[in-house]
Amino acid sequence: MNRTKQNAALIGAILSVLILVSLLYILFPHGKADSYIADIYQDGQLLTSIPLSDVKEAYTFTVTGATGCQNEVEVRPGSIGILSADCPDKLCVHQGFISDSRLPITCLPNRLVILLHPAEQAETDSAAIDMIAY
Amino acid sequence: MPLKRLTTLALYTTLSLAIYALESAIPPLVPIPGIKLGLANIITLILLQHGSPRDAALVLAARILLSTLLFGQFISLAYSLTGGIFSLLAMFLINRLLYGKMSFLTGAVGGLAHNAGQLLVAFALTATPGVLTYLPFLILSGIITGFFTGLAASFAGRRLSYIISSKS
Repeated sequence: MNRTKQNAALIGAILSVLILVSLLYILFPHGKADSYIADIYQDGQLLTSIPLSDVKEAYTFTVTGATGCQNEVEVRPGSIGILSADCPDKLCVHQGFISDSRLPITCLPNRLVILLHPAEQAETDSAAIDMIAY
Repeated sequence: MPLKRLTTLALYTTLSLAIYALESAIPPLVPIPGIKLGLANIITLILLQHGSPRDAALVLAARILLSTLLFGQFISLAYSLTGGIFSLLAMFLINRLLYGKMSFLTGAVGGLAHNAGQLLVAFALTATPGVLTYLPFLILSGIITGFFTGLAASFAGRRLSYIISSKS
């Protein structure tokens, strides 16, 4: 019985630490920025990068995968989202529009990932301009 | 396999498949792929505690194969199977450490392991490091849902254990 309690305390402690770290990560996103760049991946390949702060007017385009699957993506000033998809669960559509790096949009059936990352730290080739702007 | 055991395991497979079907009728709670209640895990845990690890593994394998045939797409087999194996191994270990007591901890670790396994598959399939940002969300949801399926297993197990024939 004592052994049970010891083991339970240990497991409970490990789980608590995991919960705490996860909560901290979710509540306090790292790399918060004013502007983000949206990277669109399919099958692990970077299809396109869109700096969201450069978008003046909303527009849509369709991403077609190797298997013929389709996702209709809408880009708005400062945010991006999936309007419609031919995947069965539509989780990517239900997620709506994202405007920070906390949670990427993923359409697992179509292997599509839309990831935002802060604009400052990303562009190494135009680092000088960013330094001034920063 | 003795007839009685075969029948009992078939009964548990049916039970677990019914729970799975019921759960897939519930609309997704949050728009994050991979987050679900995992109610069918209740049956795995009950069998692990009152039957044998072999019973649990057999029923789990049968349920995953049948549910993929009946409800899923082929791709979901990779997710279910990896998640199922991870969670079964983790729960087997934790259940040993806790001597069958405090099922809510066993369930929580099982849920955690299940989600970790699924995230690994997602990582392998999409080949995008970005999916790893789901990790904190999946850790939280796995522990929380697992905690409650573990509780449910300990309550239901007391009533259901008498039909597990391997003891009688």
